[in-house]
Amino acid sequence: MRATTSILRAGPSPLASAPPPPPGTRPARAGHPRALAMAAALIFSAAVSNGQTPQGATYAGSEACQMCHEDIFKAFQKNPHVAVEKDKKRGFETHACESCHGPASKHIESTSAADIRNPAKLPAAETDRTCLTCHLNEPTHVGRIQSSHARDQVACVSCHSIHKSAEELVPRQRAAINKECANCHLSEWASFQKPYKHKLPEGAMSCVDCHNPHGSVLPHGIRTASANEPGCMNCHGDKRGPFVFEHAPVRLEGCATCHEPHGSANPKMLVRQEVRLLCLECHANTPATAVASKTLGGVPPAFHDLRSPQFQNCTVCHVKVHGSNVSQELLR
Amino acid sequence: MRLWILLAAAIPLAAQDSTQAPAAADTSAAAPAAQTEKLLTGDVDLGYRWFSGAGGSVDTYRSVVDLGSGVRLLGLNLSLQSPTKKYFDQINVRGSGWGGDPYNTAHVDATRHDWYNLNFDYRNIAYFNFMPSFADPTIGNGLFLNQQAFDSHRRMMDFELDLRPGKWLVPYLGFSHDSGFGTGVTDFVNGLNSYAVADKPRDATENYRGGVRIELKKFHATLEQGGTTFKDDQQVFTSNQNFGNAPVSILGQQLFVNGLTQAYGVRGDSIYSKALLTANPTPWLDVFGEFLYSRPRTNVNYSQFNAGQFVDLSTLLFYTSELDLVNAAARQPHTTVNLGFEIRPVKKLRVIESWMTDRLHNASSGALNQQVLDPAQALVTNFVDRLVMNYNREQVDALYDLAPRLTLRGGYHYEWGDGLTQGALLSGLQYETGQLKRHVGLAGVSYRALEKLTFSVDFEAANGDRNYFRTSLQNYEKARIQARYRVKPSLQLGARFTVLNNENPDPAVKYNFLSRDNSLSVTWNPNNGKWVTVTGDYTRATLRSDLSYIVPQDFTSAQSFYRDNVHEASALVDLLIPGFGGKGPKLGMGGSLVRSSGSRPTDYYQPVLRFTTPTCKHMNWYGEWRYYGFAEPFYGYEGFRAHILTVGVRVGL
Repeated sequence: MRATTSILRAGPSPLASAPPPPPGTRPARAGHPRALAMAAALIFSAAVSNGQTPQGATYAGSEACQMCHEDIFKAFQKNPHVAVEKDKKRGFETHACESCHGPASKHIESTSAADIRNPAKLPAAETDRTCLTCHLNEPTHVGRIQSSHARDQVACVSCHSIHKSAEELVPRQRAAINKECANCHLSEWASFQKPYKHKLPEGAMSCVDCHNPHGSVLPHGIRTASANEPGCMNCHGDKRGPFVFEHAPVRLEGCATCHEPHGSANPKMLVRQEVRLLCLECHANTPATAVASKTLGGVPPAFHDLRSPQFQNCTVCHVKVHGSNVSQELLR
Repeated sequence: MRLWILLAAAIPLAAQDSTQAPAAADTSAAAPAAQTEKLLTGDVDLGYRWFSGAGGSVDTYRSVVDLGSGVRLLGLNLSLQSPTKKYFDQINVRGSGWGGDPYNTAHVDATRHDWYNLNFDYRNIAYFNFMPSFADPTIGNGLFLNQQAFDSHRRMMDFELDLRPGKWLVPYLGFSHDSGFGTGVTDFVNGLNSYAVADKPRDATENYRGGVRIELKKFHATLEQGGTTFKDDQQVFTSNQNFGNAPVSILGQQLFVNGLTQAYGVRGDSIYSKALLTANPTPWLDVFGEFLYSRPRTNVNYSQFNAGQFVDLSTLLFYTSELDLVNAAARQPHTTVNLGFEIRPVKKLRVIESWMTDRLHNASSGALNQQVLDPAQALVTNFVDRLVMNYNREQVDALYDLAPRLTLRGGYHYEWGDGLTQGALLSGLQYETGQLKRHVGLAGVSYRALEKLTFSVDFEAANGDRNYFRTSLQNYEKARIQARYRVKPSLQLGARFTVLNNENPDPAVKYNFLSRDNSLSVTWNPNNGKWVTVTGDYTRATLRSDLSYIVPQDFTSAQSFYRDNVHEASALVDLLIPGFGGKGPKLGMGGSLVRSSGSRPTDYYQPVLRFTTPTCKHMNWYGEWRYYGFAEPFYGYEGFRAHILTVGVRVGL
């Protein structure tokens, strides 16, 4: 019921002829003054989506849906959402189907698709609000309305199959998760075919080990570890610190400053083919020019003769390049 | 490992126990359909992998692939339903790669409706890395082997228990463990010389956490309190005479090390707090907020004893032994706050406003006690260091549904902050400060036509006034176009195009970066994939980076170039061999290839051929051949090729 009321909040109540809502829920509002303030925007209003609930419909119960949609009904019995059928708290008891699709009586009479609300045909934001009626506070969903998926109109049902088995509702196997993400993130998945990469194609990791597809405070939906540290530290605990001598890019711009985590042709997933070239991109100016460019680390720590093989791999000596507890020069 | 194998073995027994005790079950409650439903379902893949041996560089093979021969539990996926639902509703067990593969995983989850959700995850990932080219590609000048090489493992374990899921108050507990151990080679640096020595890394991090999730009608909150402990007991040692990477004599004296013990005794801990809030006080307003605070700290007790022939460059004093003791500590309070709301003033318009601040301050101090030759003349050096990062971001997005299938969006975000870090020795500054100021405009369109075609465009352009590093995003444009088209139910096409153009016109930097990724994908499964399924994708990625820098040895200005031009393709065709009534053998063929040219040309091929045939009702026999071919024209000595043949059975339950 809450889903229905929030989705239809700005229009005339579709529940006019519906039974009274369960205790604790509010009827839909016919409108509010803010609509007037934004009247100018309404000039772009288009026709009402055919995915919305028709007026005058009432609840019919899931068994009525089963009469025609036997295959979906059967598949739904293996879906965790079948628990909605017993959800008294939200008033969904005995009408799990209609908890998302809205009252179905008119659709049952007419058998017309136009007489039932179909979340898959709604704008993504409205589909999401149906799901978030129950799922807003799950730990993975906090920040959902801030995620890039939400901004890009990627609805919950784009990744979660509501009617099918538990595994298709929320893929748990790493290969299935990766396949789901790779459907859209083609170039990222292509990077994992390169020789130096995290072990996703091997099934040892999945995209959601590093990214929270529902949102994160960090860019690119990177997961956090121990409250607010980058999720990389979940596995690379030895790089977590804090170090007595920090290497600033690790903290200020993160691991991706030097590493391409999706995969690279360069050893250790570096963004450049040799270590010295990577280091020199920052540590590359004389003091005067570094001050002029106002960037950090512009002055090299030392002027080595890079023609000597000894100095062509900076990390041979600067072994603690992620941060050192002993040496300011990151030598030990 | 044994524990999980035992557990996996015990599950069928548990299932038998359940099915053999129908009297104990509430038969009146069981529906007829449930009685015929199998309690234990899933499959087990057991096989033997044969590895041909790596032709070419074994070290590169191990760094990239690392699969070996032997019997393997390749996959396990079991689901056990409880007929009585007394202790659990369902238990799922998954695993892969057991028996010697470099990646072993295990997962167990158990649920009982309204009582608990239990999740346990385990991973053991081998990390072998020995890449000579990482050090020096100029083989003509003498191969200088990589001295950062490891043969190690990382083990991760995660346990989480939710109590009373679905209720308004959900307490939860969690524990995670992450450890690394193994052997390797690292470098000991002393004066003008450096020495490759043995390394034994060993670290462990434990995370304990507990909290509650509160779910009310219009208000949801999560409160979590956690803590971590950390230890790093790395040891570096040698007892051999080693003349180092620069075997030159100084004033007629040859430098060498013939004894070394470095012991890192690092201990750390942290407490952290997490408060998350979401609320929808009215139907047109959602509010969210996060407060994250952590306070990690580290205490260091480091000791080093080295013997041999060394020189102090400032005094040209030669000495034969040195004892260094370091006591230090670092504190790093870190606070993150993220607040925002989504307002829907009219039905078709959403405005999302968010504000974030992330503030990290690292302060450290310590003392180095250095004894050279005479313990009575120890030199004590005190040191302090700081690192500060203050990052802020404000973003506003507006999304307008122009039509039921067409959404326009626009926005703006402003990032600003400051950073402070130690100054480089040559800069003469104790600390360097940097600033961040970046204005970013956002725009986008999403269009979904007739459910067959989805199309979205994103565009982002920024004008950065200040940034932290020479290669940071400064003046940039980023665009992404993505389309998916379902030509018919059995045929889907996808395309994605992304471009990033970043420039820093500062005369001291002159940074130009341009990357493009173009991808196409196709999925064809006529008759629901009954006879044939074809999936494939192709990506062409190019990257160009030009940057000005100063050559250290002669202070001349030079240009750093990096180029990458990658063709990547992968495909898999699955065919059901006709003539067996739709239940015959299946043949799969495909694989992936990467051809990269540019600064590090690389070819990497992985063709694959699979054959599956049913042997009896619940069993399939399968075989797979896979070839790994890796070649790098600049580093020919790193190429390898290998055949992997796997045969096994998949038992379905």
